[in-house]
Amino acid sequence: MSSGDFYFAINATFRFIHDRFGMDGLRAYWRELGRDYFRPLSERFRDGGLPAVEAYWRDFFRQQPCGAAEVIREPEQVRIEVRDCPALRWLRDHNRDVFEHYCDHCRYVSEEIADQAGMRFELEGGGSQCRQRFISGRDAQP
Amino acid sequence: MIGVHDFCGHYDWTFEYLRRLGGEELVARYWREAIGFDSQRHALQLFLAKGIEGMAEYWGHTLTLEEAGYRLSRNQDVFRLDMHACPSKGYLIEHGLEAYPDYCTHCIGWIGPVAEQAGFQVDHEHNHCGQCWWELHRNAGEEARRDVREQAGADNVEHHPRWPMGTHHRFRNGKPES
Repeated sequence: MSSGDFYFAINATFRFIHDRFGMDGLRAYWRELGRDYFRPLSERFRDGGLPAVEAYWRDFFRQQPCGAAEVIREPEQVRIEVRDCPALRWLRDHNRDVFEHYCDHCRYVSEEIADQAGMRFELEGGGSQCRQRFISGRDAQP
Repeated sequence: MIGVHDFCGHYDWTFEYLRRLGGEELVARYWREAIGFDSQRHALQLFLAKGIEGMAEYWGHTLTLEEAGYRLSRNQDVFRLDMHACPSKGYLIEHGLEAYPDYCTHCIGWIGPVAEQAGFQVDHEHNHCGQCWWELHRNAGEEARRDVREQAGADNVEHHPRWPMGTHHRFRNGKPES
């Protein structure tokens, strides 16, 4: 189990970059984080396909200190049903002001991870509950 | 989604991203403002409200959560922390990550300003191998500082066989020693 207090730093980092560089600067940070820091993860997904995507996200949620999510592998996609976002749960339970665009990082970071893996990422919802999908094939139709 | 399980990896990566964007000045501002006075504001609240006892409470909680190898020693004038196995730097070493070349300095980068705001001076040294020591005090004399080192005893990291390894950076009153 990892320290949930690290969510405080993630939240503060987004706010710091946004306050100095605006939303465009923050999106650029998220995209480069997805492309560069998470490149090894994209390679795992590209090499291992949907089973690797499923394994990563199952392990991911197991290591967060709170929250609830279901990871489901289907023939053409891995669907992640976030019932209670771990980050938002921790921040709210510790009376922290959640940065207003906190949820957006999932879209921008994961789009880059998926794109480099030859996949497509889609997200619906937000604010504690959302559905995230890693879909086989970059050109797959919604 | 960015998780906390590999936090130290993307934290280190972020330092280098900010350095490329705005130089060391932006990195220092990030540590001070975002980490010190936003993320870790509970540390400032504890230091202000309870002084040295607040430090023991803060680091006892944080380092236990992070499963660190450490020893806390204190008397009424000095708080000392000996870190034998920093989980944060340890994660980077274990995973071969070093985006930013001076990761260890982030701690003094936020603890220094927070301690100063609470009225404390900070002396500190790290070896970039996951080991460091800290002494936070208000103009404490040498006798009080010797006392906490004696309390640490064999857990004084400066006595550890691996302590001389690596590159040492030393800070007095929160400022790097030349």
